[in-house]
Amino acid sequence: METFQRIVKLGYTNFWRNRWLTLGATLLMTLTLIMISVSLVLSLIVRDLATTIRSKIDLTIYFRDDAVSDGDITALGDRIKLQNGVAEVSFTDKRAALSIWNRLPINENIKRPVGESYNPLPRSLQIRTTNPDNIQSLITTIAIQDSQKIVCNECVSYSKNKETVDRLLSITKFVQRAGLFLSVFFGIIAVFNVMNIIRITINARSDEIEIMRYVGASNAFVRGPFIVEGILYGVLGTLFTTIFLLLIAYLVSSTINSVFASFGVDFFQLILVNLWTLIGIQLAIGVLLGVIVSSISVRRFLKA
Amino acid sequence: MQEILTVGSPKLTRPITNPKVRVPLIEMKAATKKYGNRAAVSDVTLVIYEGEFVCLVGQSGVGKTTLIKFLTKQESPSSGSVFVAGRNLADLRGSELPYYRRKIGVVFQDFKLLPQKTVFENVAFALEVCGVARADILRRVEKVLDLVNLGRRKNNYPNELSGGERQRAAIARALVHAPKLLIADEPTGNLDPVNTFEIIDLLYRINQKGTTVILATHNRQAVDRVQKRVLLMKSGKLVSDQKTGKYVI
Repeated sequence: METFQRIVKLGYTNFWRNRWLTLGATLLMTLTLIMISVSLVLSLIVRDLATTIRSKIDLTIYFRDDAVSDGDITALGDRIKLQNGVAEVSFTDKRAALSIWNRLPINENIKRPVGESYNPLPRSLQIRTTNPDNIQSLITTIAIQDSQKIVCNECVSYSKNKETVDRLLSITKFVQRAGLFLSVFFGIIAVFNVMNIIRITINARSDEIEIMRYVGASNAFVRGPFIVEGILYGVLGTLFTTIFLLLIAYLVSSTINSVFASFGVDFFQLILVNLWTLIGIQLAIGVLLGVIVSSISVRRFLKA
Repeated sequence: MQEILTVGSPKLTRPITNPKVRVPLIEMKAATKKYGNRAAVSDVTLVIYEGEFVCLVGQSGVGKTTLIKFLTKQESPSSGSVFVAGRNLADLRGSELPYYRRKIGVVFQDFKLLPQKTVFENVAFALEVCGVARADILRRVEKVLDLVNLGRRKNNYPNELSGGERQRAAIARALVHAPKLLIADEPTGNLDPVNTFEIIDLLYRINQKGTTVILATHNRQAVDRVQKRVLLMKSGKLVSDQKTGKYVI
């Protein structure tokens, strides 16, 4: 126990004694963790966006006025609700359709002819699925069973939205992949920098290591303080990265939120909700990196 | 004899019970070290007994330091063998090395003191790294600092000491493990004549208390002062072995 305390104290003392070198190593560790965190946050945003986009993909079926009664439509709605992958089914009757029509941001001259006395707007069922990929098979099923009752296939809103949604999803996927690639690329550069600076700090203390070995310190004792320092790099790197991340998130949150306003993304909230996960990942990577690099760098002094 | 390779008592000295019984502490058999085609040490065979004071002399670059590195196991001979306390160092495992080194005190020309530690801390450090308890450290460091006459300077940093005092601090650190063998590699190389004699006298006193001392030097006055066994090296070879010799090249 006394030996363990000595190792921790020695690591801690060395860390502060060589503060300029260790500050350099800590800042590079911070840079590495920022790279990794930015990649994580980016993937969080993209995931959030993708979820929002996918939740906006719904299926609306319009019905001919002469072919089917309100009762038949709600009965069909109940049947659809029982199918796999259907999250919600809601019925819009002619009055509700009219009120939606009146709220549409279009020219009053176009709106005016449509009213209580003349309402050509079709009744509809809005269907939300748990997974938008199920929609196509759902359409096929409904189209086969109830083709005569439906106004027209083109009136199914999914067909119109699909192309836009698919394009959006492919863009988010591209952004996610590009972000990941860039983060890995810069992350590798940062890792090499961390390795180099930790090596420099250890080389600067080669005399101390030599003396420790002359006086009979075991390899574990020589290695111990450097591992403590490695842990400190990881912990401080995580602290700086978290402060940086929160600060940046706070500053750019309103800009990002306005860009993605229609998707309802709250950037700062997103960071806050995932903060502990982010800290956990940073800490694990930072400490692991610090410990591994320190152990490897000190190893070459432990031969003979 | 095997005691040297195990963690023993913290006693500083071991009295010689019967000086007539000579027990070999170091044995080298045709020890050779080659770097490429060049032999730094060539076919050295010798025996050093417990309690001896041996001067290893020769000009710079004749292989004295390599021979010493055999004993600290920083180097291994390319051929031949080195035994310390009956144990072939070639058989020493990596995990045994720190325990082996705790039984050998080594002193260098450049002192190798940690500049950010006081004299006391430098000496105590040698015990701290070996896991010795705090109370034991205090007792042993005080004792060894008194032996080298540095008790009053224990709170000074190395840069506040004279060359002789620094070397005495280094000797104190080498002795704090109570080694049976003290190796001094050019310990007076950076010292003026007064400090040189002070260090040589100290090594002599340490030897008188029973510790085997090997003094590697090219300082003629130092060798002549102790009037002990002299091993002369030339071009990596051991060319003469005088029982109570003077430095003759």
